[in-house]
Amino acid sequence: MSTDGAAIIVAPTRVGRRSRRRVPIPIVLALLFLAVVVFLAFFGSAVAPINPKTQNLNASQLNPSSHFWLGTDLLGRDIFSRVLVGSRTAMLGPIIVALGAMLIGNTFGLIAGYRGGAADTVVMRAVDLMYALPPLLIAIVVGGIVGGGYWAAVAILVVLFSPYDARLIRGATLEQRDRPYVEAARTLGLPTRRIMVRHVWPNLLPLVVANTFLNFAFALVTLAGLSFIGIGVPPGTPDWGQMLADSRTLIFTNPWAALGPGGALVLTAVSMNLVGDWIYELLSDRGRLR
Amino acid sequence: MTEPLLEIDGLRIESRAGNEPRTIVGDMSLRLAAGETIGIVGESGSGKSMTARAVLGLLPPGLVASGTVAYQGRQILELPEGRLRQIRGGEISLVLQDPFTMLNPLRRCGRHVVELLRDETGGRLSRAARRTEAVRRLAEVGIDDPGVVDRYPFQLSGGMRQRVGLAAALARDPRVLIADEPSTALDVTTQKEILALLKRLQAARGMGVVLITHDLRVAFENCDRIYVLYAGALVEVGPSVDVEAQPLHPYTLGLLLSEPPLDHKVLELPSIPGSVPRHEQVADRCVFSTRCPWVEDICTAAPPPLLAAAPGRASACVRLGEIRSEITARRATRVAPAPLLARPPSAVPLISARDVAKRFGSVVALDGVSMELGEGESVGIVGESGSGKTTLARCLLGLERPDDGEIVVAGIRAENIAALDTATRRRLRQAIQIVFQDPYSSLNPVRTIGAALGEALAVAGRPASGVGALLNQVGLPAEYQARKPAALSGGERQRVAIARAIAVQPKVIVCDEPVSALDVSVQAQILNLLARLRDQLGLSYVFITHDLAVARQATDRVYVLYRGELVESGPVDDVLDRPAHAYTRRLVESVPGAPKARLAEAAEQLTMEGGS
Repeated sequence: MSTDGAAIIVAPTRVGRRSRRRVPIPIVLALLFLAVVVFLAFFGSAVAPINPKTQNLNASQLNPSSHFWLGTDLLGRDIFSRVLVGSRTAMLGPIIVALGAMLIGNTFGLIAGYRGGAADTVVMRAVDLMYALPPLLIAIVVGGIVGGGYWAAVAILVVLFSPYDARLIRGATLEQRDRPYVEAARTLGLPTRRIMVRHVWPNLLPLVVANTFLNFAFALVTLAGLSFIGIGVPPGTPDWGQMLADSRTLIFTNPWAALGPGGALVLTAVSMNLVGDWIYELLSDRGRLR
Repeated sequence: MTEPLLEIDGLRIESRAGNEPRTIVGDMSLRLAAGETIGIVGESGSGKSMTARAVLGLLPPGLVASGTVAYQGRQILELPEGRLRQIRGGEISLVLQDPFTMLNPLRRCGRHVVELLRDETGGRLSRAARRTEAVRRLAEVGIDDPGVVDRYPFQLSGGMRQRVGLAAALARDPRVLIADEPSTALDVTTQKEILALLKRLQAARGMGVVLITHDLRVAFENCDRIYVLYAGALVEVGPSVDVEAQPLHPYTLGLLLSEPPLDHKVLELPSIPGSVPRHEQVADRCVFSTRCPWVEDICTAAPPPLLAAAPGRASACVRLGEIRSEITARRATRVAPAPLLARPPSAVPLISARDVAKRFGSVVALDGVSMELGEGESVGIVGESGSGKTTLARCLLGLERPDDGEIVVAGIRAENIAALDTATRRRLRQAIQIVFQDPYSSLNPVRTIGAALGEALAVAGRPASGVGALLNQVGLPAEYQARKPAALSGGERQRVAIARAIAVQPKVIVCDEPVSALDVSVQAQILNLLARLRDQLGLSYVFITHDLAVARQATDRVYVLYRGELVESGPVDDVLDRPAHAYTRRLVESVPGAPKARLAEAAEQLTMEGGS
């Protein structure tokens, strides 16, 4: 046997490289659908065939036709166009809620989990307090009394969602904190903030991303629910939740008035969840396999 | 040989999941007769565990076995699941490595043992009968306390759990027992007890035992015949005694030589370069050809067959005829022993710890331990799990704050690192570094090697351009900086961890079991690397290990810890050859392959050498 004092070790050539996994068809469909919704959130009003706010009392409660693809509502507005333009409030608010809650929740969760001690106690008791509040009810009360419309509702949801994220991230941080790679970083004398942000956090990424997607879907449904009961977007704005509320009376004459926005809502939420799960799996594999 | 109980012929295990089929085991054959113990020896990735699982039809999903596995003439691989279930446990039973996870934590020990017991008519046993039977079965594996029947696994030590696992595996009186690394997760003293127990049970029951292990010494001591497996292929088969005395394959020779000798320190351990390849990387040639010093064209032309080389022995080396005498010669050569130089401890110790105490809740981890480390010295801390050796190391590093006592590292009071000002703390951090046991978790999985090392260099104010040189210093090519840890083998990762430690130019490195998670053939490389760096960089080591042979190679002085107390200390040869404390003596005697006679002889020899 050779005695390899300073010999340079050559890595065995990699033969069985993992082939790139094919994207499953449901994910492709979900991604396509989300791409369309995002596109419409920006350019919805330009694409919509009819101005979604134009009322035409002569054309009220029409069934689907070649002119009004999904028929019209009580005020004679084109439902198809309103569904398209409704993408805006459907995407924008939930994205802000998901990202905002992620930012706040991750910050507090990381600090609580990594620092432990008093920081942990303070953050977690605050989280416990927030857990005791029913989010939807708070949103209704605050939104209904203080007012402020859609953006106020979004802001409330950011605050109400973040404790859930904080708890999740804290747990995951605790799991990483005592791993040897973290201790090695501590032994090197790296600043605590750097260890938290550059070492621990990247290892939580799969969880963070998946959770953000879930939060998005949940925020979407919650915001639509608030719109449905009249909190959030001002009357007249094309919004899926509000359209659902408006079309209650049409359900037997033109079911499409409800199925259009309702379907869009469900499909968006489901797509988000599917994509979130898929990204989680992709990220979890990263680092584990060569 | 009598009629075999178990006969495997041309076993092949492949993964058919994914687009690219992978081969785990290429060609495995073995015979096991009643009353016989055979050993399957191999490093990680050799396919030894999968072979055991294939015999029981317990391969993980996605893996497919082909070839023949015959149990008393019945073809196991062709049996339907229902029939296999009758064979499992009843005819062939399996004991697994990890006593901490193989028992269901929610079930009392008695239930594990009697779960499948039925009376002669196949009916359920009465409550009282079950209990009596459980007590009897546990007594058979050396658990005399009938109260254990009612205890939960977490209430027992690792050795006790392994006994319960063994009792459960033997409950239905199997004729073949497959033990997959049954003692690896245990302390040496417990390991010895479990292996002795296994032997006793086998003799009493006339079972056939297949012992799967990575530890050659364990295999030699416990098996009649040995099958050496490497990268999914058999390279050598033969009786233990013959294989140990005269290996007939370069790989077996390499393994034997790279084991640190128990009785003397050597200048440099012979090691096998590189690391174990995956089977499909070497499927078209001799599996060992990528690391063999005798490799020639004929070795890479085709996979060599396993041929009879002597009565009862077989080797897969095509060049055996030419190199046989050379192998024999190398085996016989005693590796040059290191000169016994007693380094005088320097006047000012680098580390001095006095009466360090630490408790976790009601558990006393350290009870007033004192130690010193001189400049350029390597000091071993040996002991079994729970002895407090890791806690001591963590206290030295400031990762744990001792309850009591005084620690001075490089002139800095280090017992309460949080109380130090930033500049002092930084000086302390740069003076002492650590290499952890498990190279798989000590590197951040999402960061590249270059990022990890660059960061360490930056801490010491050195430019990140030094990463390449740093990698070369630990024997890795500079191109590795673009890789992530997952793309590296265990040994390579440990090299990176060592590079990270030396990046800040420390005075002391605490090595916490740095080789115990590595394959034997890689262990020697890392030990040599540590020795070389120590000379080149003037490092001092605090070397924590449970392996006395490793301690002998890597340290000058040792401290023996037992349940948080320091029981013995002194120059490594003195302590290991003439242990003064009863615990140290037990530890030394428990090492596999260290019969008392051999120890005494070594002691004698050393006294003579030391005296001359």
